[in-house]
Amino acid sequence: MKKTTILFFFLLLFSSVFSQDNCENAEIVNAGIYSFNEINGSQSAPSNCIGEYENGDAAEWFKYEASQDYTLTITTDLPENSEGDTRFHVYTGTCSDLTCYGGDDDSGSGYLSVETINVFQGETYYIVFDNNWNDDGFLFEIIENEYIEPLLSFTTQPVTPEPNGNTLGAVDMNNDYLDDIISIELNNLNVLYQQADGSFVENNIPTGNATNNPTWSMAIADYDANGYNDLVYGGSNGVTFMKANSDGTSYQEIAGDEYVFSQRTNFIDINNDGYLDAFVCHDIAPNVYYLNDGNGNFTFNQGGIGDSPTGGNYGSIWTDYDNDGDVDVFIAKCRGGDADIKINQLHRNNGDGTFTEVGTESGLADPVQTWSSAWADFNNDGFMDVFVGASSFADGEHKLMQNNGDGTFTDITAGSGFENIVSTGIENVAYDFNNDGYVDVLGMGGEIMINNGDLTFTSSGNFILNGPVGDFNNDGFLDIINNDQIHYNAGNDNNWVKIGLTGVESNINGIGARIEISSDLGTQIRDVKSGVGFKYMNTLNEYFGLGEDTSINEVVVYWPSGIIDEINNSDINSTLIIEEGESLAVANFSYKNISIYPNPTEDYINIESKFEIFNEKFEVFSIQGKIVISGEISSSKKIDVNHLSSGTYFFKLYSKGKTFQRKFIKK
Amino acid sequence: MLKKIVFFLIIFIIFSCSSDDDGSYEPIENPPDNNGEEVSFEIDKVPYTTLSEYNFYEENIANLKPIDRVVPYELISPLFTDYAKKKRFVWMPEDVSATYNSSDKVLDFPNSTILIKNFYYNNVQPNHQKRIVETRLMFKKDNVWEFANYIWNNQQTEAYLDLSGSTTLVEWTDENNNNRSVNYRIPSATECMVCHKSNEKPIPIGLKPHNLNKTFTYPTGEKNQLQQLVDVGYLNSYPGQIETVVDWENESGSLKNRVRSYLDINCAHCHSEGAHCDYRPLKLAYSETIDDINLGVCVEPDQYVASGLPYIVAAGKHERSMMFYRMNATDEAVKMPLLGRTVVHQESVDLLSEWIDNINQNCP
Repeated sequence: MKKTTILFFFLLLFSSVFSQDNCENAEIVNAGIYSFNEINGSQSAPSNCIGEYENGDAAEWFKYEASQDYTLTITTDLPENSEGDTRFHVYTGTCSDLTCYGGDDDSGSGYLSVETINVFQGETYYIVFDNNWNDDGFLFEIIENEYIEPLLSFTTQPVTPEPNGNTLGAVDMNNDYLDDIISIELNNLNVLYQQADGSFVENNIPTGNATNNPTWSMAIADYDANGYNDLVYGGSNGVTFMKANSDGTSYQEIAGDEYVFSQRTNFIDINNDGYLDAFVCHDIAPNVYYLNDGNGNFTFNQGGIGDSPTGGNYGSIWTDYDNDGDVDVFIAKCRGGDADIKINQLHRNNGDGTFTEVGTESGLADPVQTWSSAWADFNNDGFMDVFVGASSFADGEHKLMQNNGDGTFTDITAGSGFENIVSTGIENVAYDFNNDGYVDVLGMGGEIMINNGDLTFTSSGNFILNGPVGDFNNDGFLDIINNDQIHYNAGNDNNWVKIGLTGVESNINGIGARIEISSDLGTQIRDVKSGVGFKYMNTLNEYFGLGEDTSINEVVVYWPSGIIDEINNSDINSTLIIEEGESLAVANFSYKNISIYPNPTEDYINIESKFEIFNEKFEVFSIQGKIVISGEISSSKKIDVNHLSSGTYFFKLYSKGKTFQRKFIKK
Repeated sequence: MLKKIVFFLIIFIIFSCSSDDDGSYEPIENPPDNNGEEVSFEIDKVPYTTLSEYNFYEENIANLKPIDRVVPYELISPLFTDYAKKKRFVWMPEDVSATYNSSDKVLDFPNSTILIKNFYYNNVQPNHQKRIVETRLMFKKDNVWEFANYIWNNQQTEAYLDLSGSTTLVEWTDENNNNRSVNYRIPSATECMVCHKSNEKPIPIGLKPHNLNKTFTYPTGEKNQLQQLVDVGYLNSYPGQIETVVDWENESGSLKNRVRSYLDINCAHCHSEGAHCDYRPLKLAYSETIDDINLGVCVEPDQYVASGLPYIVAAGKHERSMMFYRMNATDEAVKMPLLGRTVVHQESVDLLSEWIDNINQNCP
């Protein structure tokens, strides 16, 4: 009875169309309300523009041709559909080559769908309703709104070839500084290598069944410095390392015996000895970390960096908040109940491998239930600020905390724009998506908050769930991959520079390095991090937006070793690759691990080191490159240079696969 | 006198039978005389290295036949643990007893109480024998509950203290002749604590009056389990009216009460006030789920897990419900409960689906 009434109602009031069974016969629609009786078109929706679930086996096809630029709303959220369940896709292109442009399942009330897209004069858009949920007919409305220039726009395309497994990473795996796509199955590592033309070449590397799967998180870095990136999987019952062989063609699993309920994983040189260690947040016990002995062997440690007996550790992020040249770690914490365990922690690096918890004095000891925080210098004042994203509002809401530069933070959420966001999520990351020189925030369950440059933020209006972030077409604008689809950032006229690092004395990925770029708009900083947000592993390249600036005054890299490189006159809208020590700063700086004194000297040099160098090989070169002394370091750690003629020399020490070079002057 | 009680307990065991208790004991014609046998529990020496040191059971301990004062109990609706079967016992010293708090709160046990829970499978391959995997203890010392866990050897002659956690493969044939296999997780102490806590302090879960208040067939006739505890001297008293869960498998209960009962024992240890995940909107203790909001009906989830799941419980549509999606999942980061199961509990997922599909309501 009811159905008949509705059908009658349809026929009476609206133009009901019947021929929209496939793309070729798609019914042309304009602004207005349309209806159909049943989803029975023989051509089902091609690619899935929504994400999970299938597209059903039938569809209804409509075609919209834009007579001018509009911001178009397509909605089934109409009172007549109140008990309905709808789902649609929007494609561009031709019937033989359709590309996802948008789509929605449940953004409307109940299970109804609403999507707002920008359409451009002369373009054709296919609106396709699928029958994944049911075959029932319904009404839909097309509303043409005045075109509003979007803050950001994305085009969505299925990843080709389709990844095998869970897509968790967006990191260069073959040393071309192009972000690749990494997907993981229990026994397989699927890498889609980005090509210069933006296509991908697939490589499946069998790994054997991993003891622990990266169900909670994954991080990437070349911890044994053999030139190929390795992986760490954070599983429910432990941690697995997948170590690349000498040419990156196979991986060996190294699984820790220790029980770890992993959350965020990171690669970071915790003790600053030049070798990457691994840190893992523990959900239900004190945090754990694996110290690298320099030969790629890990020693398990627990304690000293977040020691709540029952854990509550979700999102660790390693950054230098106090600008003292070493990386500190913030732990986003979460736990029910009224105990202190849920309070976020900030661990200040004391520079000697130990950490002091300074959450309270810094102002970051907050009980808000958070799984991850997004760190960046949001106002380009030279200090890292933090957006703490709530995963639930039970114990506080999203917070924007400004770094005062004196080790303390001030809550500046009110008026920042974040106070208006009612959605929550477990992923929050900081990137400059519009390349205007001010870092934005992606998270809160799908929001992109565009930084207005004055510590206020505006929602971009896009809704994109978090996934690995990288530049998948090397256009300098960061893209996002989720549900086997790449959301390509359409970009804008802003300029940019992409920076890739190669460490020499420091770890090979340059993780923990601070990069500083100055241009007319100001000075921007980034800390290179492996493991941000909660689950995914984002690009290890650093992307800087330059806005309208057409030149970069200076790029400075502060390496974990203490070495400072200064690069002038670098190009814009291109990739700048910096090897540690290639452009040593004129200004003095202090090395962290190996230093020589006195300098200048007359009779001898003393070698001071943070680790044992007895019996290690060394050489002293003249400025012409001739070896003038060579040998092994004696127990006195002294080298006699009395016999050398006056001039400039280089001391080179070879230890644990690294070369340490120091310049000295013989008087 | 003591002999008589022991005999009585043996008979009790023989006749006890429940959903996760296969009642597989062979009747013993001449019960061994363990007159004088007592549980050994020296508070400063526990946990012991071996399970046999406690002397909970008669020889052979693999029969799990309790000695005097080691009192069996079962839950009206039990926790699902990868289809493991369980035998549960409680022991207290002389001259102390527990007090009743409220229907949905664990009995207030005195110091030195021991809760004993044995996890086993029947028809385990290759020889189709019973295999006891582990025996978990909680005991109360200086008003704080502590955990101990004993892992059984292959010979089933002893179980050894091990709180480090491990996994073990169990392959067995179930009651319907299906071959099953699980990579069974034996929890570490830190894992025990995830569920067994309130405001970060350890607590037991099962021994709530609302899950104990059932009639049980004893050799002497039918008796309420709480009454049995009173008669043994383990409980001071209990009220006449107790809001009680139903057996989730018993089809005579309403769909909603069966689901509520299942969720109470399987989920409420995290989803209730003061628990691991109390910041999420679900409140799944039986006393709270009379309210559909606490059950998540038409409540939007905080966290995106997959598309097409707009509500925790999408009334009328189980396939659009986050609760169904998570209970039907095995991915470690998606599945619920997070701990204690590695396979889908199909029977409970079916019940959940049936309940959701029959909620006569439309989410707004």
